[in-house]
Amino acid sequence: MTAVLSVHDLGVSFGGIHAVNGVSFSAEPNAITTVIGPNGAGKSTLFNLISGLIRPSNGRVMLRGMDRTGAKPHLMQRAGLGRSFQITNLFFELTVLENLRLAAQRLEPSARLWLPVRRSHRALARVDALIERFGLASKVGELAGALSHGEQRRLEIAVALAAEPSILLLDEPTQGMSHADTADTAKLIRDLAKDVTILLIEHDIGVVMDISHHIVVMHQGKKIAEGAPAVVRADPAVQAAYFGHA
Amino acid sequence: MGGITDYIQFVLAPQMITGLALGVAVVLVALGLTIIFGLLDVINMAHGEFYAVGAYLALALGASGISFWILLVIVPLVMLPVGYAVERGLIQRVFNLPDRHVTTLLLTFGLGLVIEEALKIIFGANTQRPPTPISGAVELMGVLLPSYRLFLIVIGAAIVIAVALIINKTTLGSLVRAAAFDSNMAASLGVPVKRVFAWTFAFGVALAGLAGVLLAPIYSVFPTMGRDFIFLAFTVVIVGGMGSIAGAVVAGLLLTQIQAISSLIVPPVWSDPLLFGIMVVMLVVRPQGLFGRLGHG
Amino acid sequence: MADMSSRSQKPVDRLGLAMRASHVLVAIFVVLGLICAAIGAANQDTFFLRLATEALIFAGLALSVDILLGYTGLLSLGQALYFGMGAYISALVLKEVPSFWLAMGAVLVASFVVSLLAGMVANRVRGVYFALVTFGLAQVAARAVYNTRAIGASDGLIGIPIVPINLGFGTFMSSSPAPFFIFTLAFIVILYLISAYILDTPFGRILVALRANERRVPFLGYSTWNARLAAYVLAGVVAALSGALYPMLRGFVSPELLFFATSGNAVITVVTGGVGTLAGALYGSVILTVLKSVVGSMTEHHLIVIGLLFMAVVIFLPKGLMGLVRPRIERMLSGGDR
Repeated sequence: MTAVLSVHDLGVSFGGIHAVNGVSFSAEPNAITTVIGPNGAGKSTLFNLISGLIRPSNGRVMLRGMDRTGAKPHLMQRAGLGRSFQITNLFFELTVLENLRLAAQRLEPSARLWLPVRRSHRALARVDALIERFGLASKVGELAGALSHGEQRRLEIAVALAAEPSILLLDEPTQGMSHADTADTAKLIRDLAKDVTILLIEHDIGVVMDISHHIVVMHQGKKIAEGAPAVVRADPAVQAAYFGHA
Repeated sequence: MGGITDYIQFVLAPQMITGLALGVAVVLVALGLTIIFGLLDVINMAHGEFYAVGAYLALALGASGISFWILLVIVPLVMLPVGYAVERGLIQRVFNLPDRHVTTLLLTFGLGLVIEEALKIIFGANTQRPPTPISGAVELMGVLLPSYRLFLIVIGAAIVIAVALIINKTTLGSLVRAAAFDSNMAASLGVPVKRVFAWTFAFGVALAGLAGVLLAPIYSVFPTMGRDFIFLAFTVVIVGGMGSIAGAVVAGLLLTQIQAISSLIVPPVWSDPLLFGIMVVMLVVRPQGLFGRLGHG
Repeated sequence: MADMSSRSQKPVDRLGLAMRASHVLVAIFVVLGLICAAIGAANQDTFFLRLATEALIFAGLALSVDILLGYTGLLSLGQALYFGMGAYISALVLKEVPSFWLAMGAVLVASFVVSLLAGMVANRVRGVYFALVTFGLAQVAARAVYNTRAIGASDGLIGIPIVPINLGFGTFMSSSPAPFFIFTLAFIVILYLISAYILDTPFGRILVALRANERRVPFLGYSTWNARLAAYVLAGVVAALSGALYPMLRGFVSPELLFFATSGNAVITVVTGGVGTLAGALYGSVILTVLKSVVGSMTEHHLIVIGLLFMAVVIFLPKGLMGLVRPRIERMLSGGDR
């Protein structure tokens, strides 16, 4: 089973500090791989390296078997990568509908760029499906900025998913959510894994243990442990990283 | 051999000194601009007009008999409350809108227009020139240098050093830098952020006015002098790095020297395109400028 | 009950609705323009018609500013570069060959090439840097034109011949005030419609997205560089084509067309009319022209009035005049079910 995404010895340093240092792992198809680690472990930097926001100093990023190291974000997206953000990064002045349509537009052939929006049938159909799946029907005409925090976080995921990526990178999707919303979102993510591979950064250990197939633990830029949830939980190195220092 | 030393003595050196005198004044204007942008995150398109106001004040007050030396002190002092009022009354109103950079740019652009027209109405559209406070020339190593320009260089340098010291070494300076870095945090620590911002803006404006007083005897005074100058000032700030005092100094002196020396080689009309070309190259190769950090803008 | 749910099922495409409101406003604009043409023609008031035509030509320049500012979020302080270029090229062509279509064709090609090249430089930066680079480009060009004897230097070019404009279904002379006014009105409205159409396409929506949140756009799969460059070229061509009409109206061109005042006026026009509405560029230009005439006849210092008005608009009316009117029209169009 070839991995959808694999990183090999990936690293970047800023002025002598290795934010990410020699990290290697792969994300298997239709599985949920979760990256965890204490604050400052380099998890978001890892996502930025994979999605093309930052150029790695060393290592490789392979997506669907092709070397995509250092590819710019828009090229990564076209190669099949979807990404959500830890700090909500939507088009707040635009409606929920428009946010989704913009994200789904890539499903259409390039020529459709120049035809009126209403002719992008495939994209609009995708938008309808997403609205349904993410329960946003009542908010479709609202500005994204007017949504509640939980709704915005859900929309973040929907936008990342819109163009039918091969892999979905979710950066702390439940950040700031209520307990109920978190549980709902965890269930949603588990559902999504049936259709798309998921790479997740998550702080809520309950969610992590519940839905992850595979966990990668980072600490100070390095990978210190990897494996199934039960394995990782029992790993002394992991415990030291999280609880070892007061 | 003799030809070259003659050239240096009679053409190059005087030209470089002229360039240096202009450079010091440009640094003063650019300093105000970069401080206002670096610390307040405000783009002041009216900055050139404040330079012009300083020059016109010098002209008007000087004509009523006040000595140049007193003008050097009172013009900036007069401009402080003007700058304060502009910041509190106008800029603060649009400061918290999302498009801050564009809105302050537009607002100050409008303000510049109004000030320029006001100057035209009050003083007329003609070019005027206040008398040179220090006439004569001084001989330095065989080179004849106008005394006033030497004075300008010395006093300008002193002011720039003083400003740098105030910003970086004093408590007042650290208050300003704290408010600039994180205004909410500074406010919760008791720093009167709004007033600090207003005084910083006022300070920058006063520097521009001072430059106006200093340069008026050399470059004359006319209503569009601000608009002509602002492009040079912004070029200096961009090349030096927006928000960087060292950048404003280095770029200001460097660019005016380039301008001075190049006008010996090519027709003067090409010196602006040359400077502009340098700005464009800088923006392409190193957008944060020589000393800046890509934070604001 | 069933009626209510089917109505709420229809998602509101706010951007489309806003654009339709602009269309209504432009339709009103056209009607008012035609009425003016009729009055002007009836009174044989050449001056009035010429002034109105000039306002429309500058409306085209304002439109180009709005494409960049209102949609892509880029403030260009140098669109006069393209406006002036269009005017000069048009003048030069007409002096050799008095052919309207040849002049327009030349302007179209030249402005496309120049804006592409300039855009590749200017678009390396954003925000205030972009504003300053565009400002600088226009200043350099203005200075170059001012100092070039071959194209008239500071005097500009005079003696642009009267041109027959052959539209296929009829021909009229550029010197006929009423027909040329109506032609210019139609021309500017066509530029408006093209711009509006583009903004209703996915490409145009990417421009809107750039203004709303540029950082997210690459993650949609689009290169922001390509989008910004395309917008810049579009704006340049629109400005140049508008400028091309200028020598036909006035019979001369001068370097002032490239000065900062021209770019600055266009920005004032757009902000006053309403950034991002496209219709605001048209109304703003007319209102400003009227204002300048009226105030200008009372005092020599009309610029100060306009400057103060502009500042007031920026502070108190950030969405411009259209911002007051458009929401009402949007409400009417959406059937009042808000």
